[in-house]
Amino acid sequence: MPTLLQKLFSKRVGNGSSRDCSTGAEQRWASAEFDLAQIRLIVYQDCERRGRQVLFDSKAIHKLDASEPTTDETKSPPTRSGACQINSQASEKDKPPTYQYTRPASDVNMLGEMMFGSVSMSYKGSTLKIHHIRSPPQLMVSKVFSTRFGSSVSGSTNTLQDSFESMSQTLPSHTSSIGVGRAASYPLLCLVRSASFFAAHSNPVDMPSRGQSEDGDSGIARSASLSSLLATPLPSPGSSFSSGCASSYQRRWLRSQATSLQHGPMPRWSTEEMFNLSDESCSSNPAMIRRKKIAISIIISLPEREEENHNFQEFFFSHFPLFESHMNKLKTAIERAMILCRRIAESSHRVQVYLCRVMEALGEFRMTVWNLYMAPRITEPVWLSMISQSAERNLLCQRFLKEMSLLMEHGAKNQFLSALLTAVLMHHLAWVPTVMPSSLPSIKPDCQKPASQTVDLLAKSHPYNSLWAQLCDLYGALGSPVRVCRTVVVGRKRELVQRVLSVLSYFIRCSDLQEHTQPPGQTDNPANPCFSQSINPIPATERRDEDTCSPKPDTSKPTLCMSTNDNALSSDLAHLLPGILSEQHDEKAPFQDTKSINPSPCLESMGVRTECTEMGQEYFGEDSDSVGLEHILANQSPLLHRVRFHIGSPREAENDVQPGALTGVGFGRGLDRKLHRRLLTDIRRNESSDSALGDSDEEEAMPRQLHMVTEQQEYELPLPSCQVESQANVNHFGRSLLGGYCPQYMPDFVLHGINSDVRLKQCLMADLEHTVLHSALDEPVAEALCIVADTDRLSVQVATSQRRVCEGGRLGRDVMVSNLIHTLITSVLQLYALNIAADFCVMHLEDRLQEVYFKSRSLAEYLRGQTRVHVKELGLALGIESSDIPLLAAVASTHSPYVAQILL
Amino acid sequence: MNALVALCHFCELHGPRTLFCTEAVHPPSPSPQQPGSGIPYDRDREADREGEGLTMRANSSATQRADMCEGCRALPVSHPGFVSVDSETGIRYLSHQHPRQPQLFSVVRQACVRSLSCEVCPGREGPIFFGDEQHGFVFSHTFFIKDSLARGFQRWYSIVVVAMDRIYLINSWPFLLRHLRLTIQSLQSTALKVFDSEQCVCPQRAVRMNGAFSPAVFPHQRSGNAARSLTSLTQHPNLWASLHSSFSWLLKACGSRLTEKLLEGAPTEDTLVLIERQTEQEEEMIGWDGAEGGGSNPQPSQSDSLQGTDFQCDDGRQEDLPGPKFKSLRHLRQVLGASDFRQLAWHVLMGNQVIWRSADPGLIQSAFNVLKALLPVGCVRAISYSPQYEEAYRCNFLGLSPDVVIPAHVSSSEFSVLVDVLNAERDCVNPVDDYILSLYHFNISSPNNQPVDKGPTLLNKIEVALSNENLSVEVVSLCLLCLKEEWMNKVKVLFKFSKVDGRGKEDTQKILALLGATGPGEEDNVRLLKFWMTGLSKTYKSHLMTAVRGGERTLSQ
Repeated sequence: MPTLLQKLFSKRVGNGSSRDCSTGAEQRWASAEFDLAQIRLIVYQDCERRGRQVLFDSKAIHKLDASEPTTDETKSPPTRSGACQINSQASEKDKPPTYQYTRPASDVNMLGEMMFGSVSMSYKGSTLKIHHIRSPPQLMVSKVFSTRFGSSVSGSTNTLQDSFESMSQTLPSHTSSIGVGRAASYPLLCLVRSASFFAAHSNPVDMPSRGQSEDGDSGIARSASLSSLLATPLPSPGSSFSSGCASSYQRRWLRSQATSLQHGPMPRWSTEEMFNLSDESCSSNPAMIRRKKIAISIIISLPEREEENHNFQEFFFSHFPLFESHMNKLKTAIERAMILCRRIAESSHRVQVYLCRVMEALGEFRMTVWNLYMAPRITEPVWLSMISQSAERNLLCQRFLKEMSLLMEHGAKNQFLSALLTAVLMHHLAWVPTVMPSSLPSIKPDCQKPASQTVDLLAKSHPYNSLWAQLCDLYGALGSPVRVCRTVVVGRKRELVQRVLSVLSYFIRCSDLQEHTQPPGQTDNPANPCFSQSINPIPATERRDEDTCSPKPDTSKPTLCMSTNDNALSSDLAHLLPGILSEQHDEKAPFQDTKSINPSPCLESMGVRTECTEMGQEYFGEDSDSVGLEHILANQSPLLHRVRFHIGSPREAENDVQPGALTGVGFGRGLDRKLHRRLLTDIRRNESSDSALGDSDEEEAMPRQLHMVTEQQEYELPLPSCQVESQANVNHFGRSLLGGYCPQYMPDFVLHGINSDVRLKQCLMADLEHTVLHSALDEPVAEALCIVADTDRLSVQVATSQRRVCEGGRLGRDVMVSNLIHTLITSVLQLYALNIAADFCVMHLEDRLQEVYFKSRSLAEYLRGQTRVHVKELGLALGIESSDIPLLAAVASTHSPYVAQILL
Repeated sequence: MNALVALCHFCELHGPRTLFCTEAVHPPSPSPQQPGSGIPYDRDREADREGEGLTMRANSSATQRADMCEGCRALPVSHPGFVSVDSETGIRYLSHQHPRQPQLFSVVRQACVRSLSCEVCPGREGPIFFGDEQHGFVFSHTFFIKDSLARGFQRWYSIVVVAMDRIYLINSWPFLLRHLRLTIQSLQSTALKVFDSEQCVCPQRAVRMNGAFSPAVFPHQRSGNAARSLTSLTQHPNLWASLHSSFSWLLKACGSRLTEKLLEGAPTEDTLVLIERQTEQEEEMIGWDGAEGGGSNPQPSQSDSLQGTDFQCDDGRQEDLPGPKFKSLRHLRQVLGASDFRQLAWHVLMGNQVIWRSADPGLIQSAFNVLKALLPVGCVRAISYSPQYEEAYRCNFLGLSPDVVIPAHVSSSEFSVLVDVLNAERDCVNPVDDYILSLYHFNISSPNNQPVDKGPTLLNKIEVALSNENLSVEVVSLCLLCLKEEWMNKVKVLFKFSKVDGRGKEDTQKILALLGATGPGEEDNVRLLKFWMTGLSKTYKSHLMTAVRGGERTLSQ
């Protein structure tokens, strides 16, 4: 029996794949072929009593189809430029395919070890793992879940565990139950055993322990069946800001705080995720918790060619949230398959149903991933191109306005463009911060907009994940409550759809990402701790001037208790820590001398470290508990007034620092206070002998000595720097999620076009629900929306996860055209028609969008403290018409979170 | 990056140990609010973490002391650790054997144990990511270091990067892998050299083969050497200082690997004008010459600077002055009455000179302050109290003491309006509810005979907002802001169209219609637009001029 192994790594090298050589509006994103069979699924269970079993391995499953020996799901897509499509759906409906399970691949045991690890943890949440397998090159993503059981079959008191036992006892008679009796041999044993796991009907066995191991308080499993009941919490409203990029800033700041290490682990929203084997129909039944884990692993074979391998990995890791979201979808499908097949009595049928369901879900997964990687993208998203290539701004503006004019004419009588832009501006809210007026004069008049300096500063002082921020922006997750939105343009006329996409790529905005990398082949990379290391330190010492390093440190000085970044201090300290501090001087020199970049060669050559250590032991050793503070106080060295002291834990010290005084300024003033505080701290600690480090298991020192260790100041070393090359990051979401005219609907894309909405109609509601449950944003999402623009029918509808029912086969509600937006577009295009320079028209467009923002501010202020909204009053006094209210309320929710609560 | 890096070692005698840990301590909140910074360290949570198979507390007894060896330790007990400060951001990178923050201790310990004894990496050397919400997320890279005295001639280490933001950590995988590999390869190759030189001196294989094997002695026979530290394995005396530098750099570089270019909206014209005035003022402080003569249009620049001084001091000065004040436009409207207010506001919006005469400078000041809100900042040139008349080109708001005589050409000009503040008659029969009206009454006079009831559109809208008592003062002022911005945008278009592009009358009429300036009150609207054009910032005007030149070049290509 031929396996799929041969196909696994098969791929063809494409031609014309370079991004530069394309002349069309869209081009291929990925440079390599990506074979569906490169994605393998393994489901494993680890049972406390019975050990590990493979519950599924796509590599060991073969489709039994007389006409086609190879499975549809693993066939490579036919066209290179197209997206993967499901061709076999019609036939599958008629007759589900039959699968045969063969001997699992030889590597499953090893993979099982990797999935679960060698120690079983009692942690109940889900665990995520990623392994890189070198040979053959593969990436493995695993999620390990605890399981939740519940029997759905009324009157049956047995559990899966029992049915498993009874099945395995009668094992020989079941060996032919799968594989349609063709391959009844030893390898099948494994599946029979594991497949029997799903049997619900077997001999009832009393379970005396039932109820004792209930897991009553661990909350509701986050699975599809139940989490729709969970109310999504509103994010903390925060204060409403009035200036600039406040909301962008706020969200990034909150993210950096929510994921900060400084607060230790703070389990967030997704911790209760389990593998749910309880039926929806009896979710209120006492659920049985067994010590059983189920692992789902996706193994992706990496391309063999180095460059393709590199590209795929870069893509995979930067787009991981999307991959993970689809893995969660797959997991839900597997859960359902397991629950479903438990109801089937006949075991071979049961296995077939199970295999069918899982293979189907895997097919979905493979296709989605394939599409995500391979589908065509918008070559030149207008907004991103404008902000990144200011030289071409004029041309871009002209092209943009021309396309917008054409669209306006095309759908004039239906107000198609106005409706579409109303919807897009209402839901893809990232444009709002880009029009909030800056308080700074425009630095770059070319692009008319200054870059946010506060956000820039935040990124440096509190690094946050800018990829995450970009994803939020693109999906429009800026408001409160958090909503995410995508836009799909449907139409048979390719050119028209592409024009719509292009225009929308101006209004759907996000930040541009720059990547700063170290030039490859740089030998003096600071990551290398032993650069130019000579094992024998003697030659290095010879190079140094003996005088600078020979003096023994003056022991009366509080040398070890300082930390400073004030370069003026260096000279005072130089004779104490010559090697280290001389580096600070060197650092200012150009980096031509590689030695000055990395402190280690000098350090190592000087032997300073050992000297310092001795000193430390000498003065802070066992019988020197009184040294330190007293010495500092007694020796009022002039140094003291410029030295920053850190007392106690870093946290404590950190809280002492006043905002703004981040670097060595003004610390002298706070010194006395801190010393005083430190004294108090010492006394308190000694009395209670309850050190904050009480549970540090490996400290040799006794508590009192621990204090000494804690309170010494670290040796200061300069921070190494390294030459950096900046380049546009190609794998960011702004480039990858703005899709082109795709052959098929894609669930991830922020924007894309398709020629038919058939598949969209099939999948959209499920996708929206999935988005709410397993948001790629790693944050709770209140609502998922999709704007569907049909260029054939000239209709714009918005589908939402909150309202399922839509009459007459429609996807969502029609959009009410905002008069504000309509006049805005009209006047911009009229200006353009009057031959006013394109870039001025675009500037005017931005000004008008800024007006929309100001109007939202008035609306928010009007709503403050209002219980009822007088629409007439709004119209008369504020010039806000009823058609504008939804848009303005959405805009207002980005800066005034209370608005949503009033209007809801 | 919001993460820490730790070097871990699987000690032959003591199992997995954390050797060296570099953490980043971030400066306190740069934001007005500090969510999360007030989170107290929760001991209960620490207690919760017990009984997870990796209990910390059991190990913390004094007996642990004997369980340490050189191999399990990086820095001597008394070593204070290392620090590096990023002076640009205030982030401090601290290295010790263990993290200083107690809540991170168990996180790192957990990561260390999982990386070296739980998680399985094919080939035992390589990267793994693992973790969960409760224990944090870990990028781990395991590797061997050659040791001629160790079992199998090698020792097992790992470098772990721990973070709470799993997405961030996974996004950083390629970067971390690339650089940790450098670190690891460098350690390995250095150790290999040491190993080779040691083997030359004393081939251990031979020693071991020839040595008599005694089960009783075996575990202890190399115990002295089992304690070899990484420093001795690499013969790198400053290994820890170097590792500190490498790890600190890694954290910094990983955090700044991707930067966002996030744009804000263009500043409003008001902001630009204020900044320009501030700059001018600063320049005037330096040298008080040449400003008046130059330029084709010296008038605005001079008056701008005058007003600039005035504008800066307004708020402070008003509070110093005693007496009654106008609190808002609505208040002014109530005091003057709707029709007088409209007349006054009309003159303000048209750019006519508004002259107030009163013995109470504070009252005039407050009146100007609320009236100024009707105009863009660039259109305001105010002299709030003067002992003599000042010409209209110098100021459109002028406060005078009651005895100042207004020249005839001014009092007869339709481009001015005079408000005389007179003392109220004491025996006024009608009780008045406003304090100001109990003191003063106002006489507004202007030679202007034009009706002021038609336009401009802006004034009509403002009046609707002002007259609606349902709307708070804040709503009215935001509403006014909206209207001003809306009309400023029209002003920009008109400026571009007529001044920059120099289009003819016919086209201009089209533009006016397009802007919604035609219809009833058209004449007033146009006057308003033309007056407001003088208030555009120089930054904007010069930008349009240059941008157009650039644009035409592109067009001609």
